Amino acid sequence: MSEPMVLTEDEALEILAYLVTAARTQVDEAAEYGSLRLMTAAGRLADLVTPRASAPTRAFLDGPLRALPGTATKSNDPEYAAKLDAVCAALADHLVAHFDAR
Amino acid sequence: MNEAGLELIRTRRVVRDLTDAPVAREQLEIILRAAGHAPNAGNRRLQTFVAADDAGLVRVLRMVAPGMLQRPTAVIVVCVDIARAVRFGFAPDAKGLYVDVGTVTQTMLLAAHALALGAGPVTSFSRAAVAAALNLPEGLRPELMVCLGHPTATQAPPMASQRARTWRDVTHWGRY
Repeated sequence: MSEPMVLTEDEALEILAYLVTAARTQVDEAAEYGSLRLMTAAGRLADLVTPRASAPTRAFLDGPLRALPGTATKSNDPEYAAKLDAVCAALADHLVAHFDAR
Repeated sequence: MNEAGLELIRTRRVVRDLTDAPVAREQLEIILRAAGHAPNAGNRRLQTFVAADDAGLVRVLRMVAPGMLQRPTAVIVVCVDIARAVRFGFAPDAKGLYVDVGTVTQTMLLAAHALALGAGPVTSFSRAAVAAALNLPEGLRPELMVCLGHPTATQAPPMASQRARTWRDVTHWGRY
């Protein structure tokens, strides 16, 4: 079965650039910004992928992935780790269904 | 007392939810002229501003700025002219150079607010990538980006306020 392409080269470069430059900025910034930058990257990737993704993937990208505000960090949300756990669990549920894991 | 001036200061916020409408050059020029009124050590004006309002260039700047959560339609990059600073006898990492980045930035943010534009500062970006993207000459170091655009009708809530500490908590009168 051929897999549909969900990213253009331009879009892939945008995410790649974000990740590489975030690696550099994180050298000088507070440790908690690491999670923030990774979730921002996930959100941007989701923005690009959503229009071309399957319905179940879109439901995950528009739903559980957006549970945390874009500026959430450990120090401004006491439930931050628990909320990330919830996103991870929802992601796992989606992956199991998507890849038909048994 | 200039109540309008004080109200401008009190109502300024970092605005991240922006429309895709461009910012007029005339408005950018007002903001850039305002920067010239910021306090500046020795009145030396050791900053250079690079204004980007080309959609492609703004897109590239955003790609290399992890801290740019907003999607601005114009960006003013505040650069420190390290070469001039060194000629004046400053060390390249002299703290005063960065104090001045702060004063010009705040002045521009207030000017943008006076124009009913949305604005916010970003310091989390790759200096190397921005310098390359802007083709900056040797001696100019990008230190802060002022992101500009037209605010949407609704805004996401701000980052959690630290206002559990008021100005009284952080003010000490006279000597400790």
